[in-house]
Amino acid sequence: MPPASPYRPEFEAALRLLARISMAMHRRGLQRPVLVGGAAAEFWSSSAISTGDFDLCTPRQDALEEEMVRAGFVRPAGAGQMLKGWVHPELKLGFEVVAEVPMDGNVARDMLVLVENFSDDGDFVLISVEDLIADRMGQWASGTAADRLDQARKLFALHPSIDLVYLERRIREETMGDHGIEALED
Amino acid sequence: MASKRLKIDREWAGRRVDFPAFSAALAKRRAELAEPDLPRNPGQRRTASKRALLKAIEDAGGKW
Repeated sequence: MPPASPYRPEFEAALRLLARISMAMHRRGLQRPVLVGGAAAEFWSSSAISTGDFDLCTPRQDALEEEMVRAGFVRPAGAGQMLKGWVHPELKLGFEVVAEVPMDGNVARDMLVLVENFSDDGDFVLISVEDLIADRMGQWASGTAADRLDQARKLFALHPSIDLVYLERRIREETMGDHGIEALED
Repeated sequence: MASKRLKIDREWAGRRVDFPAFSAALAKRRAELAEPDLPRNPGQRRTASKRALLKAIEDAGGKW
């Protein structure tokens, strides 16, 4: 019997949907969307960090939204201009395209991570745990999200084989040089 | 079709994670650390679009 999944069932359902849509993009010869933000934090923490955000980056929003519609996503009824996201009414979850590229283009394409053997629906792509920690540190350093330091520390503790050189550089970049790995170790 | 997928996937130049091995190792690490889960994001940084999306999910009966 396979071990019980450490992830929330609804989160796994969302990932399966992402894998399906990602495979559809890939088959069209397009880049898979990149999972960022809170859902990436949930993935890298195996749901120790859970959020309501399921944010994607793609330079081909038009094609991605075509595939989302094929997968059952709809614009919520009565949605105004304010709402850019899509809801899956059966699974009761939402995806939103938040940018063309992750973290304002500061992530090299070869640092992105392809998650394989997740489901029969296909593979999907997300930002690395190093970039995610740097993202959390940047938000914390900006003074607008004090809780992000706890998230960064948690992620750092969960991944002992992390690339420390890359992580140090990325934290410095995201915090305008004010912080490095030492802030995670206090 | 399977061979086509494998051929294209070999072109991936970034990192790779094998999900079954990854999730098992991460679950083990979580157990070793024995730390509590973190509370959900308070949502103070959410955009208007994100707030509208989460409300739409709630209206559909979902709870994220």
